[in-house]
Amino acid sequence: MIEFTLNGQAVSTNVDPSTPLLWVVRDQFKLKGSKFGCGAGLCGACTMHADGAALKTCVTPIAAVAGKAITTIEGLGTPDDLHPLQAAWHAHSVPQCGYCQSGQIMAAAALLEANPNPTATDIDAAMSGNICRCGCYPRIKRAIQSVSENALAYDAMAPAGETA
Amino acid sequence: MNTVNVSRRRFLQSSAVAGGGLVVGFSLSGCSTTALPLPVAHAEGAWTANAFVQILPDNTVRFYTARAEMGQGVTTGLATLLGEELDVNPLDMDIRLASAHEDYNNPLFGMQGTGGSSSTRAHFLPMRQAGANTRMLILQAAAGDLGAEVGVLSTDNGHVVHAGQRYPYADFIESASLLTIAADAPLKPADEFQYIGRESQRVDAIAKSTGTADFGLDIDIPDLHYAVVVRPPVAGAKKVTADTAAARVMPGVTDIVEVASGVAVVAESFWQATQAASKVQVEWEETDLSRVDTATLRADYAAALDAGEGVEGPDEGDVQAAFAAASTVKEADYWAPLLSHSPMEPMNAVVRIQGDEADVWTGIQFPFAVAGLVSRMADIPAENVRFHQTYLGGGFGRRGTITHLAEAADVAKKTGKPIQLVWTREDDIRQGPFRPASLMRIKAGVDESGQLIAWDTARAGANISPDTFRTLLPAMYPWLGDFLVEGVANASEIFFEHFSTDDSSTEGLFEDYDQPNTRVMHMTVDHGLPLTFWRAVGHSYTAFAKESMIDEIAQAAGIDEVAFRLQNTQSSPRRQNVIRIAGERMAQMTVPEGHHLGMAMHHSFSTDVAEIAEVSVEDGQIRVHKVTCVVDCGQAVNPDIVRSQMEGGIIYGLTAALYGDLNLESGAVMESNFHDYRMLRMNESPDIEVIIVDSGTEPTGVGEPGLPPIAPAVANAVYKATGQRLRSLPLRLV
Repeated sequence: MIEFTLNGQAVSTNVDPSTPLLWVVRDQFKLKGSKFGCGAGLCGACTMHADGAALKTCVTPIAAVAGKAITTIEGLGTPDDLHPLQAAWHAHSVPQCGYCQSGQIMAAAALLEANPNPTATDIDAAMSGNICRCGCYPRIKRAIQSVSENALAYDAMAPAGETA
Repeated sequence: MNTVNVSRRRFLQSSAVAGGGLVVGFSLSGCSTTALPLPVAHAEGAWTANAFVQILPDNTVRFYTARAEMGQGVTTGLATLLGEELDVNPLDMDIRLASAHEDYNNPLFGMQGTGGSSSTRAHFLPMRQAGANTRMLILQAAAGDLGAEVGVLSTDNGHVVHAGQRYPYADFIESASLLTIAADAPLKPADEFQYIGRESQRVDAIAKSTGTADFGLDIDIPDLHYAVVVRPPVAGAKKVTADTAAARVMPGVTDIVEVASGVAVVAESFWQATQAASKVQVEWEETDLSRVDTATLRADYAAALDAGEGVEGPDEGDVQAAFAAASTVKEADYWAPLLSHSPMEPMNAVVRIQGDEADVWTGIQFPFAVAGLVSRMADIPAENVRFHQTYLGGGFGRRGTITHLAEAADVAKKTGKPIQLVWTREDDIRQGPFRPASLMRIKAGVDESGQLIAWDTARAGANISPDTFRTLLPAMYPWLGDFLVEGVANASEIFFEHFSTDDSSTEGLFEDYDQPNTRVMHMTVDHGLPLTFWRAVGHSYTAFAKESMIDEIAQAAGIDEVAFRLQNTQSSPRRQNVIRIAGERMAQMTVPEGHHLGMAMHHSFSTDVAEIAEVSVEDGQIRVHKVTCVVDCGQAVNPDIVRSQMEGGIIYGLTAALYGDLNLESGAVMESNFHDYRMLRMNESPDIEVIIVDSGTEPTGVGEPGLPPIAPAVANAVYKATGQRLRSLPLRLV
């Protein structure tokens, strides 16, 4: 039996320990927000957090996350209680097909957790493991920048009425 | 350009349904002969105005989107058109994905399909009319209930306003259900638009940012089993022998069955199915394709162009005489390779067969094909097949194909289990259907005045249409035997090889400039690879050839690239306008040392686009820093979605321009996943500026037209940076 925390709840599983975390979360715990894109850790659609760090879960055996705190897109925010990144994704109309966006948002959230004030180069580096075929990259970058501390500081300095 | 004939769509059918009230079907197709029940789910106390709108007692306005949502924003677009005339904010609507029904036919196609950048063009008037008619009916009901004339009532975002009071539409749905809907309520003049042409968010952004949007892969039903197919390395090769003993004893495996494309392994989970599939040993037959390498394709195409035998397309004037009179003549060949679409969501479908009924869940561009195909594969009546559309995790043409659905239905029938059949990423990249490779030859001539006077062009390669017939005929005519399907497909191959060009093969190669002498030839060379539409279809490669040659000949004639394009597009003020705006931007740009600007313009899907690429070459690497895109797509219904589609078309096109290349060895695709079939990533993605021409004319396409100009714009910039004229995609410096 492998025990870990999933979106704050203690859970356990009896699956083959080599089963990737992605499929345990999708099949056993029925959280379908994290996606299968390549099965080889190359596209990032399956990105979750393990103890706060971004993880490609389609190539992570469930045994490797025993005792860890796993967060999925469902644990980050909900339609009624959006994480600031999710709100920014809506405000900037980031998603097109939307399939990669759970992974994109989880990668972005891990970045901002580690570096609340990323430069454009920092964003490129942190996000280059996540492929988007629809080409949402310019908007993803803008949405991340809009919720970074930099953006908040900028907004706070701007005269009222000129930020919109 | 196709025009939308509204009068043909003013066909209304009324029928009482169980649960009370009146259901009014607004047949968009106009070719309806039967009054089918509406395909929307019954909601207690709700009023179903037509196939698109249902108003619930709590005043929720439920919108059923008729077109497949694959990221292009069509759901927001159609909700905007309907909401404009119904007077309901699209962002307040409860969005549903429509099932299959003739009321959801694409007015431009006459069947339920999404593609060809057609949706906004096709629905601009009909969807507004559906909204206006529904609003008129609510007003008539309100007038009766409130004892007022319709003329003194107004509406405001889902409410009827009378004497300063706001009444939810839902207050009047009971009365509305007893009235007959108007067929031709007046539409708003453009200067009264409050949603069309305005900035807004997407209706699906929150679902897609919270992991709550359901894609086909997310469908989960009781007892669902998962199938993967062990496929031949060479597309279409049949199995000789298979050893499945090792796979059978793998954990979770329940069934191993043969399907047309290979050996299907069924397990309790997808992971288990993939693990077991890797243990299946298959010997595959050798086919003609087994002797084909990438070099074979190109050499065979070149030989066909040299031989000059082919089908004649448009032929105007006298190109030979024009070349004799020309002061500058250039001739060159341009290559575009085989490509995979690789949408982020791998192909998949869920099929559940119970007795003589079936349910199908998948995200598909052609819902019209589902019932017939499943009926054929499962031997059940087509009318007993229920289709449940999902969001499409990328389309790009790939989700206009249905092989995966046929496989899912076949496996479900053979195992008696509900099946989700999934293509792995390796299947996706290796198996096709592909964007066809092309070799294009253009000879152009310019006279002393800088006028383009001759354009002699030919394309060699395979055609898409025969494979489209081969794929869709079994679904359209379930009773047609396999032998006849193959016969029709083969006949179409012969037709396009000997009697007529396939538009998908040559579109965009010759139409955009004013040359009076034009000759177009097509040489069909088909090695048997499965092919289909790929974003922008023929334009995805013809624009590269055409706009590279325009740059080459302008340069050879010593004429500025912008001036040359303007001089030779005088018959199209709209085309000239995007060139002029792009040219002005280009002249204003100051770029860093070592950066160079390249331009291209292309007309596709009735839309004109000019793009400027800012490129540098460092250490032999092409780097695209910024792209400026000028687009005239008529009335932009959702300007921000137009921008996002231009951004997406440019980035999809840049992946192809810089990296996209599938290589064949002995007929097998050598690439397999994103490590060797490379995608543009964020750190390689340029800044993109989109300028939308302010236009009041009817909308034209946006999903595809952003793509074609980007490869030649980059190639033209690379020429300035290096002096190297790169005529093969992907662009690689020598």
